[in-house]
Amino acid sequence: MAKPDILVIGGGVTGTITAITLAEAGAKVTLVDAGVNAGSDANAGSLHVQMQSRFMRLYPDQVPNVEAALPFYRAAAEEWVKLDAALGGVELVRKGGLMLAETADQLAFLEKKAAREAAKGLSVELLDRVSLDRIAPWLGPQIVGAELCRDEGKLNPLLANRLLKRRAEAAGVTRLTDRVTQLRMTSHDVEIDTPDATLHADQVVIAAAWGSGDLVNAFSVTLPTRAEPLHMNITEPGAPVINHLVQHAERSITLKQFSSGQIVIGGGWPATSQGSHAPPTVRHDSMLQNVALAARLAPAISSLKVIRTWAGMNTTIDGASVIGPLPYTKRIIMAIPGDAGYTLGPLVGRMAAQIAMDAPTDFDAGPFSPARFAN
Amino acid sequence: MTKITFTFQGHAITAKTGQSLAAALTKAGHRNFRETAKSAERGMFCGMGVCQDCLVTVDGKPNVRACMSPAKDGMTVTRQVPFPAFTGSAPPPSDPLHLTPDVLVIGGGAGGLSAAIAAAKAGARVVILDERKVAGGQYYKQSADGSVLDAQQGDGADLVAAAVASGAEILSGVEIWGAFDPLLFLAQQGETPIIARPNMAIVATGAYERPVMVPGWTLPGVMTTGAAQTLWRSYGTLPGQRVAICGSGPLNLQVALELTRGGAEIVRLADRASHPATRPLAALAMAVSGPMLTLKGLKMELALRRMGVAVRSACDLTGVAKQDGALAATFQGAGGDEETVTVDALCMNAGFEPQNEILRLLGAKMHYDTKMGHLRCQTDPTMQTSVSGLYAVGDCKGLGGAPAARVEGTIAGAHAAAASGFGDAYDLHGAQRALTRHRRFQSRLWRLYDIAPRGVAALSGDTPICRCEELTLDDIQVGLDDRPGHAGTLKRATRVGMGRCQGRYCGPVVARMVAETTGKPIEDLSFFAPRVPIKPVAISAILAAQEALDGEA
Ligand SMILES: Cc1cc2nc3c(=O)[nH]c(=O)nc-3n(C[C@H](O)[C@H](O)[C@H](O)COP(=O)(O)OP(=O)(O)OC[C@H]3O[C@@H](n4cnc5c(N)ncnc54)[C@H](O)[C@@H]3O)c2cc1C
Ligand SMILES: Cc1cc2nc3c(=O)[nH]c(=O)nc-3n(C[C@H](O)[C@H](O)[C@H](O)COP(=O)(O)OP(=O)(O)OC[C@H]3O[C@@H](n4cnc5c(N)ncnc54)[C@H](O)[C@@H]3O)c2cc1C
Ligand code: FES
Repeated sequence: MAKPDILVIGGGVTGTITAITLAEAGAKVTLVDAGVNAGSDANAGSLHVQMQSRFMRLYPDQVPNVEAALPFYRAAAEEWVKLDAALGGVELVRKGGLMLAETADQLAFLEKKAAREAAKGLSVELLDRVSLDRIAPWLGPQIVGAELCRDEGKLNPLLANRLLKRRAEAAGVTRLTDRVTQLRMTSHDVEIDTPDATLHADQVVIAAAWGSGDLVNAFSVTLPTRAEPLHMNITEPGAPVINHLVQHAERSITLKQFSSGQIVIGGGWPATSQGSHAPPTVRHDSMLQNVALAARLAPAISSLKVIRTWAGMNTTIDGASVIGPLPYTKRIIMAIPGDAGYTLGPLVGRMAAQIAMDAPTDFDAGPFSPARFAN
Repeated sequence: MTKITFTFQGHAITAKTGQSLAAALTKAGHRNFRETAKSAERGMFCGMGVCQDCLVTVDGKPNVRACMSPAKDGMTVTRQVPFPAFTGSAPPPSDPLHLTPDVLVIGGGAGGLSAAIAAAKAGARVVILDERKVAGGQYYKQSADGSVLDAQQGDGADLVAAAVASGAEILSGVEIWGAFDPLLFLAQQGETPIIARPNMAIVATGAYERPVMVPGWTLPGVMTTGAAQTLWRSYGTLPGQRVAICGSGPLNLQVALELTRGGAEIVRLADRASHPATRPLAALAMAVSGPMLTLKGLKMELALRRMGVAVRSACDLTGVAKQDGALAATFQGAGGDEETVTVDALCMNAGFEPQNEILRLLGAKMHYDTKMGHLRCQTDPTMQTSVSGLYAVGDCKGLGGAPAARVEGTIAGAHAAAASGFGDAYDLHGAQRALTRHRRFQSRLWRLYDIAPRGVAALSGDTPICRCEELTLDDIQVGLDDRPGHAGTLKRATRVGMGRCQGRYCGPVVARMVAETTGKPIEDLSFFAPRVPIKPVAISAILAAQEALDGEA
């Protein structure tokens, strides 16, 4: 294989966008992907913008990072709107996201949250039950109100992945299925080991999600990428009535309806990891509790049948994305979205490509520099 | 027998009590049960709750399987629309059933009933869960009204009676939708959630039928041979007046005979294989290993001949189309000659696929049987799988036939009971010897038929492969261009296997397609990953199960 200018590690949404951006700008790009446990293959296609209560509860120490990044989330959602047009439609619907409250306390929490988010430029509004009934009449009687974030939406990730893959192919990206085991700097380029071959490239972009931490240890950077196995459920199709992305002020849930009429229920319930070479397996308690919660919030869906569950690998870091060159090794550039990675992936991937090309970035990459993890 | 009436699309339908909705509708000449997302018509296909194509709306409740639901007086039944409004009406929660038997038997057919009898006789507390309203399974298929048609049904009735007498508890109409480590099973019986935590579990879920995939095989009126047999043996309903049967194997022959005796006209009985008479050595080998069963087969063929039905050997179905309220089925003979017959119903069986979802979910080791084209579950001589406490018997571990299933059941039942501290499972040598005999007969029997898995090379691009997602061979082949490394990748790229039946029919085809492009041998991992629910399960049922489990704590 001829030596590429740039080698991208990881073929999820982030790495694919990086590869497309670089190749369309004229670079010779090779993409290496291990072909297993891509969050992009398992994700539910929610465009997250408002602060997720699940995240705030699980990782309170990371909330400041997330809050600071709110304009970034909004820009990422805008990036998807552009992609939707560029790719010829990924069933993107942007009617907003509802975060439900069942108690006065929860509503008060949402009110404070909404004020913080509005200060960061998000389009949010608090709805009482009467206004909710107009847009979401299928909610359970115990729901007292909700926060509506108009920046949020949903799309079909299976379709998006397929179109992205085609676009990369058309742009001339060479795709290899292999697992990178080690990176080394030579005097003039980067040497890349896989079990099958040793490759060389002038620059490397690491968009390997949970696999990224191991690859940069050798460069005096401790990147705490954590693989988080998560559970999803999907139903048979029903009449299209749920327009919004639905979440809860206190409990882990996302619920939405695809354009296929199917309802997807998830929101961060755990699955059982089988390591990095096989997909995680489904836990009965996650399935039961996740679906039961959905049934309580939206009793209207309880006549529908769940036809499948699956589990996939999410990646968390510290609440903020990691974008930019390694502190001591400029030839290696990181592109890891962190939480809500499918939402952030395209923007993160594009910015990493811009950095590799020494071009100005769409958004200030400063706060996302890997330098914060230098030993 | 009492008569009941219900309406379908406003038409009054009269049925017998106990008759399934599918049978009652078929009898009344209604075959078109639902409309798909792409506006196609669908009806009953598998007749056993697998294909999920017979959906109707019953009293406002959408997506009810007509083949598994009894007709009841006063019901309002309508054709299923593709995107029904959510009715939301969660039924009032019923008290959950918590089961903690020594031995849980899943499936009440030849294998399961035999296993239950052996375990119960050893003193173990045994519960059998079966999906159908009446136990007996596919081979012993019992009638809904308790009447006995022939010796085969009589033997089945005796076996069910023996199971009851042994003290085993039989729960019917139970849909198992969840199987989790360590031996936790979640099920639903009507509105009642069932939580089963047995000491030992014996899976005896049998097999379903492999179709003949041709353009038109999804049309209402096209059904598996087993579905037609259930209509007749369980509900006294003929699939139609004029019937054609295709595929390969002895079940086709038997059902042709049963339907003829029932008054149907078999206008074509086609078998893919060349006639046994052209392969005397193979026929002789079978006769030597199973003289009684061979004789039974010969007698069937003779009886058919006397009634004017001859098997067309080396003859295969090439397509089906709608024609003036009937079906035009086109067949091709060995010489390439094509002929079209007009029928009310077309039955197909080209072999079997094991119902091994529970075994695969729990991680039991499998290997691929290249001759049969399906997975076989590995068991030790006690019928225990690679998973401790999990046993497998009968066709769910790979095709073996009813006599073998019975013996395997007896062995597994005795050993599972012994492992729970009941009896010593001693003296099963006779059973082991019988099993060897049955297996030898089976392997020789199948050599006379043509149930080898088929590649897609001979299929035309417009052949539907995935019934649920309405995908043709061409649609799926597009995804192959990306050289998917796994069936799951092809699934995400094309949606093949994503529907209600969860790849029961397209899955084996897709596994072979991917194996062909990657050049990798087929193994367990080549198939779609097993995931719960095993069968679609209502959100209300999941809610009920969750509340039941909460109550346990
Ligand atoms: C069940 C689930 C639901 C989710 N729902 C949403 C949602 O609704 N909205 C949202 O915004 N986000 C969601 N996420 C998160 C989101 O899916 C991910 O964060 C996002 O897809 C990450 O994209 P990525 O391209 O950065 O990484 P991934 O898609 O994870 O891709 C990383 C790739 O790198 C490969 N790789 C790893 N190590 C190596 C190596 N050493 N060599 C070569 N290749 C390697 C992997 O095999 C993988 O293919 C969800 C995640 C899960 C698991
Ligand atoms: C947006 C979206 C919508 C979806 N909608 C649907 C839908 O409508 N219907 C639906 O069915 N699914 C749907 N899916 C789920 C889809 O099935 C899965 O995302 C995808 O196929 C991944 O499945 P998986 O993790 O179950 O296994 P796969 O990706 O198929 O991976 C299977 C892996 O398991 C291994 N494996 C295979 N058999 C076994 C075994 N017996 N034991 C252990 N390992 C085994 C394989 O080698 C392979 O590595 C959807 C997914 C997404 C992201
Ligand atoms: S015919 Fe009812 S499920 Fe197949």
